[in-house]
Amino acid sequence: MATIAAARARSRPAFDRLRCGLGHLMVYVLLIVGLSMTLMPFLWMILSSLKTATEILRVPPTFWPDNPTLANYLTILNDPKLPLLRFYGNSLFVAVTNVLITLFTSSLIGFLFAKYQFHGKRVLFGWFLLTMMIPGQMTMIPGYLILAKVGLLNSLWGLIVFSALDAFGIFLMRQFIESLPNELLDAARIDGASEWQLYWRIVLPQLGPPLATLGILTFMHNWNAYLWPMVVITKIERRTLPIILTWYNSQHSTQPNLTMAATVMIVMPILIVYFFFQRWVVRGFTMSGLKC
Amino acid sequence: MSTLTVGRAKKRGGLWVSQRRFILSVTIPMILYSGVGLFTIGWALVLAFFDYSPGRAGGPILGLGGSNPFVGLKHFANMIDGVSREATQFRISLRNTLIFALAVLPLNLAITLPLAALIESVDRRLKTAFRAIYFLPVITSSVGVAMMWGYLYDPQRGLFNAVIRLFGGTPVAWLSDPRAQFLGVSVAMWAVIGAYLWQDFGYNLVIFIAALQGIPQEFKDAALIDGANPRQVFRKITIPLLRPTLLFVCVMTMLSSFQVFDIIQVMTNGNPNNQTRVLVLDIYDNAFRYQRMGWAAAVSLVLVVIVMLVTIVQMRLLRTEWEY
Repeated sequence: MATIAAARARSRPAFDRLRCGLGHLMVYVLLIVGLSMTLMPFLWMILSSLKTATEILRVPPTFWPDNPTLANYLTILNDPKLPLLRFYGNSLFVAVTNVLITLFTSSLIGFLFAKYQFHGKRVLFGWFLLTMMIPGQMTMIPGYLILAKVGLLNSLWGLIVFSALDAFGIFLMRQFIESLPNELLDAARIDGASEWQLYWRIVLPQLGPPLATLGILTFMHNWNAYLWPMVVITKIERRTLPIILTWYNSQHSTQPNLTMAATVMIVMPILIVYFFFQRWVVRGFTMSGLKC
Repeated sequence: MSTLTVGRAKKRGGLWVSQRRFILSVTIPMILYSGVGLFTIGWALVLAFFDYSPGRAGGPILGLGGSNPFVGLKHFANMIDGVSREATQFRISLRNTLIFALAVLPLNLAITLPLAALIESVDRRLKTAFRAIYFLPVITSSVGVAMMWGYLYDPQRGLFNAVIRLFGGTPVAWLSDPRAQFLGVSVAMWAVIGAYLWQDFGYNLVIFIAALQGIPQEFKDAALIDGANPRQVFRKITIPLLRPTLLFVCVMTMLSSFQVFDIIQVMTNGNPNNQTRVLVLDIYDNAFRYQRMGWAAAVSLVLVVIVMLVTIVQMRLLRTEWEY
């Protein structure tokens, strides 16, 4: 240990140390520059949403609003053509339902692949991961045709039926469940528990962390989804938030104060969720290779 | 004690039967469900060889045949040297998608790798804070990002042109000037690349930070004892050990930039003059706006093949033979 410390010290004589101090300063300067570039678009959005209808039209634009006002938000909330609560409800319904289904299927199938031996297990695992690795743009067209056939176009269930199995979720759960001791399961079996009871009573309660991670990722993915909802839903009252945002934008493209306020209202919920679950979210993304 | 006796009273065979029943009750629905997935993939493949439009009645099986005739490889031949509008649009989209992906990957790495090294070198609590904030754009909905950036780029009232005017430059019509170019690529394309990079860099950043943390300190210490300076340590130890991560990041970044849609559809919808039209946008427009689903299925097949090729090539190029 002493040699290591000595080696570290040797690599920095007095002159070097001064340079190192400046280097440290540079590091922070660069990080803060990066930080402000990351935050600037958010700030610009929020500031613009607080400007009045006349101020927003000024050229060149002001940066800080002269008289910050919440009027734009009130306009949006009171717009009879824009029942926002319903759209929040639609988005929430789709996201929460998909989260519940994904958590259930991922943990159950992960349990199966982690703790049971049966013929064709590896083939099954490989085959069915393969079917899920095909990019969504390819299955989008037949998916639409199927929904049209079974009458699920313009139904929120159309945004749910195809996402019941999640390859990443199954991987994650299998990995986690493999680390649970077999003795625990055998002990419960000796006590007369059925295999389903093992799942509900023994396995599921141990899965807190991976369930939280997977749940948050699935929620965000669905909350932000744009292409597939746009394909499936055309009726205004069934739309989810991202589609309603672009629609609102096309109606008010000359009033950025309103569209920016609408963007804030649609972006904010997920940022609040993120604020509380930051650690889980980042960890989940690091593990996944899945993108929103 | 009583439960234990009950358990013992069950025969071994009984336990096996109940396990098998459980396995079947999970696998059968699963196989059926992923069978639907396989059917969908097969259908997409078949559609690429038909001139299919959902508006026409067509034949008895999936509406194929009849007024939706089988055309063989005609779509693909068209893509190569057709003169129709959809054929030229396809070639433009393909070219734009390649430009987009080839610009995004190096720019992304040039931002994220140094930034990750910087963040890794600061105090632990600050590190968490930095990482959390840099990650914000990743979780923001891409439609929201497109709205924010569309307004930043606004020619009259946007922030960018305000800054340009402040320094006495000429304002730029970022998203709508078909003649504006930079390095041979249209300014509109650079503009959407900028927005995409901003949204996406945090993802690679956290992966690099995690990978840097995973490199054992002993390796660096050993090199220091042998007299290496910090820069040599970074070049000779850190970078080679990051290779698996680098591979993963390159593949993921390429894949997702080949599939870019949301930001471009909202910000430019492929304009000006198709200069930002990309493949997924082309697929979407053909399938759901012009009802040319056969053609769109053929384009999506091309996209899937490209995506797979890119993955394989990058795996080969960046493969490592050892682990630590």
